[in-house]
Order: sequence, then structure tokens, then C-alpha cells
Amino acid sequence: MEQLLAIWIEPLCVEQPDGSTLRDTLALLDALSALCPFTEAVRLGLFVLPLRGPSRFFGGDEAVVRAVGQIVLDVVGTAPLLGVGEGLFCAELAARHEVIVALGASDVFRRTQPLSVLGRKDLTTTCQRLGLHTLGAFADLEPARVAERFNKHALALHRVARGELSAMEGQRDVRLARRLAQLRGEDDLFEEQTGFFGQRGAGDDRADAAAHRVRRRLGADAIVVANLCGGRAPEDRATLVPWGSPLSNVRDLAPWPGQLLAPSPATTLAHPVPIQLRDANDYPVVMGARGSLSAEPAAIIFSSPLRREITWHAGPWPLVERWWSRKRHRAHVQMVLATGEALLVVTEASRWWLVGIYD
Amino acid sequence: MFAFSPPRPSLSPELLATLRPVSLAKSRTLPLGEPWRALVPGGALRRGSTVVVEAPIGLGGLSLALSLLSESSTLGHWAAVVGVDDPGVVAMAELGVDLRRVLFVPRPRGAWAESAADLLDGVDLLLVRPPSRPAHGAVRRLMDRVRERGTVLIALSEPRAPWPLPADLFFSVTQAEWIVSSRLDARYLTVRVSGRGEATQSGEHVVVVPNRRGRAEAS
Repeated sequence: MEQLLAIWIEPLCVEQPDGSTLRDTLALLDALSALCPFTEAVRLGLFVLPLRGPSRFFGGDEAVVRAVGQIVLDVVGTAPLLGVGEGLFCAELAARHEVIVALGASDVFRRTQPLSVLGRKDLTTTCQRLGLHTLGAFADLEPARVAERFNKHALALHRVARGELSAMEGQRDVRLARRLAQLRGEDDLFEEQTGFFGQRGAGDDRADAAAHRVRRRLGADAIVVANLCGGRAPEDRATLVPWGSPLSNVRDLAPWPGQLLAPSPATTLAHPVPIQLRDANDYPVVMGARGSLSAEPAAIIFSSPLRREITWHAGPWPLVERWWSRKRHRAHVQMVLATGEALLVVTEASRWWLVGIYD
Repeated sequence: MFAFSPPRPSLSPELLATLRPVSLAKSRTLPLGEPWRALVPGGALRRGSTVVVEAPIGLGGLSLALSLLSESSTLGHWAAVVGVDDPGVVAMAELGVDLRRVLFVPRPRGAWAESAADLLDGVDLLLVRPPSRPAHGAVRRLMDRVRERGTVLIALSEPRAPWPLPADLFFSVTQAEWIVSSRLDARYLTVRVSGRGEATQSGEHVVVVPNRRGRAEAS
């Protein structure tokens, strides 16, 4: 474990209602960070900093301890209790005793401490009745014997006593760093929705609850989420999966030569609609083996009564995929109709389908 | 929040007259992306408001509505899309919508208003395409609920089946023209923006949705 210098400042331990405690903590943290940038405000009244680097820089442990004591005296106005030990638990104990525990001696130092430093009255009483008065005696118990009698918190304390954990639970105030950042104005109080890299915020939980409600109302596959995968055509690249089903985290970043370029149709039909293309003489338009159209398409027929004139078309853009299969000769055609809509259609085996509407 | 929140206690009228809101409605907004920031009064979508996008089918109404979502979605707000049968997911990604925070209810099967109301509590933006002719009562209840929850409702409608109630912000696509080269390049939409309150003065603008990269931009 790392050798830490613990700084224990009695007046800062109890938070004053006027907020001066937090301000002093912040000022002291800034002053100590100038000495060692890895200074941490563990909880109100307790700071630690790793000793090895500053000790080499200032020329010895005593020099660092003197410098830190002077800084605290300047900022807060009271002398701190300082101590050096390995790990947060030992360092805090050393600060209460005002000793510098030499490197490697922390084990012995910890084992001589009374059980009351663990802060659990029931544990202390029970162990004292068993004749165990020091942390060392407690640490020598088998973990299984401890687990028989106490709960998991006591088991964690047992690991602290054995030196397997460096800090007791509750020794570190996890909210303090955030509160200090808010005081400094770096952390936005109101932005609860953004999370870094998969971290979940309150907004995500609300959305989950809403999705649950819709799923109860309409059935398991009524609510879906989308993700993109690799592919050339827009109908291949999008996958809609029911909400709650496991998503693959694989992001396909491979280049897809021949991919249809943006813009993509805002409506992409999951089930393509069969259509017919006719040329000016009302003959069906087909794509030949060399990837050219038999004639310029002039009209599109959806179902028998619905017929629209085509004013412009582009393509066909054949997809050279699965060339070993004769039936897989797909090609896309973009077209603009006389009424102003733009469509994406695909041909395969002399038949035509509507796959996208540029809505 | 809770699906069954307790009813608020009613206040006496003389007390109500002295009360002021904690935050003004116009200060609670959702951001808008590039072309719309300059064209919409206030430059943002007001929370609790209803936005109606009216366009003949196939003439860019859906792209326009999705472009309204994109900026907020990028900034981490959740969105839901109800009643759009076959959403063009690739087009949404090109417009800048973050797909990780979008829920789709593609075919609500007659329960579009109910599923929209369910989703209101969980998302910040709700895009709805109601079936042919939305019922007056259902629309009014949904808009009341939206105002109460502080969501933004974006409703897609057609001139043949208009949204039955006046909206806070109204986009109407009057003309759509494609610019083509060897492929479809860009679409110039002529959009009339009008509304209530600050947005009463209407204006007609030409925007490009989508452009050559699939995004929305000013012309």
C-alpha cells in the first residue's frame, strides 16, 4: 500500500450552517494541491496526500510535514494533526497519534491498535469478552469464524484489520468531491441527463419506466429501439429490435464500398411493397444482366388503380453482393415523381419493390 | 415520475391570484438545431408546448419533424416516435438524432394517444403521427398532459386531416423541390412558420432538409 500523509483538522470536522466549512475545505484543498496535485479531501476535516513524490521533491518526510503544517496554519489558522501511514486507515490512525509510521511498519502499528478504532460497539464488546483486545488479535481470527457471528460489514472490517482493504467503508465521503466541484461552479447542478460512456442518469430511468408502461399496454414487441449496423442500402443498415432485448455493442465501422450515399429516405419500409415500372410505351422496365435498364422508366404503378408519372430517375446502382447467386442481382433506383415525392426502389430478379420514401 | 401521482390540492382563487410561477414557461426550453434556431421565435422549443408540422404525405414533413429533434437528442434528451410505421433510421442518424435515446412505437394499433401519454412521463420530446383523423377529445387531453408534464409534443399532420386544435408553433410545408445531379442531392422546403404568443407573426422560409450530407441547413 501507498504511504499517505493524513491531515486531520479538528475545526473543519463539523459542518457549520453558514457554509464556511465547505469554503475553507475548498481553499485548503487548493492550497495543498499546489504542494501535491494528488491531494484528496477524504471527508470534512481529513485530507490525504501521497508522500513519496513530495518527499523526494522537498528532501525528506519531515520537510513535507513541516510545509503542510505551515500551509494549514496559514489557511485555517489552527495547527493540524499530521501522521504518515500506509493506506488510508493507517494514515488516519497515525494522524490521531501524530506519528510517522516508517515504511513497512504499518502492519505492526495497526495490530497494536485497540478494537474501538473500528467504530463498531457490538464487535468491540463481543471480541473483548472473547479476550481479543487488539486489531491484531481480531485479524488472526479465521474469516469464516467472523462471518459465522457477524454481518458482511464486520467482515469488511476484518479485512481492514488484516490489511487487505486500505479503508473502512464510510471513511470516505463520496459526496464531498461533488459538493466541492459544485461550490467551484464546475459541476452543473441541473444537468442530470448526460452520462459518460454508458453511465446512466435519472432521465434514462424515467425513459425505462415509460417504456415498461407501453410494453404492458401494447405487448412485448410494440416498443422498439434502433441501431445501425453495416450494410450498403438503408434497409440493410437499420435494425429495429424490441426494447429490452440485448443490444450488440459491436459498432460496425468498416467501410462499405458502394454504400448508398446520404440523404437516406426518412421512411424505410421494413416490408418492401411490390411495384411495377413502365416505360413510355407502357412496357415493363427490367434491368439487364449488364446492369442497365431496358428503357427509361416513365410511370410507377403501386396497386392497379394508383399510377404516377416519373419525372426524373437516377441509377440503377447495382450491388455486387453474393455474385455466386444468379438471383441476387440487386440494384437501387432513385426517382422523383410528378407530384413531388422522391422514392427509392430496388429491383431483383426482374421485379421491383418500393423500399424507401424521402418523406 | 409516478404513473399515479396524487391529485394536487385545489387553491382558492384569491390565493391563486397572488401566486407567481417558480420559473417562467419561456425560460424552460429545449434547444433547436441549425436552421430553426434563427427561424423560430425564441430560438428554442418551449417545454409544455405543442408543435404541429403539416405537410402533404411524402413532401418532407417527417424529415422536418425529425430535424427538430436532433439538437436536443444530441444534448442527451430522450425522444419517442409514436405512429411512424417505418422510421428511416439511417436518415435519422444522418440528421443528427442520437438513436441510443429514441424509443419507437411504430404501430400503436389504435392506442396512439394512450401510448403517447404513457411515454410523456419518460421523454422530453414526443413525435406523434396520429392515424388519419385524430379525435378532438383525445388530442385535447394529450395537449393538456403535455403542458402539465413539460414535454414538447411534435405532431405530424396532413392538410387533408389537420390537427384539430391550434398549436403553439405551426410549421406548414407549402412547397418541396428536389435538386438533383447524378443522384438526389438536396431538397428545398418552403416552410411557413406561425404560432401563438410570441410566435404570432408568421414568416415563410426556405430551408434545405435534407442536404447532400443528410442534415438540415438554412438555404
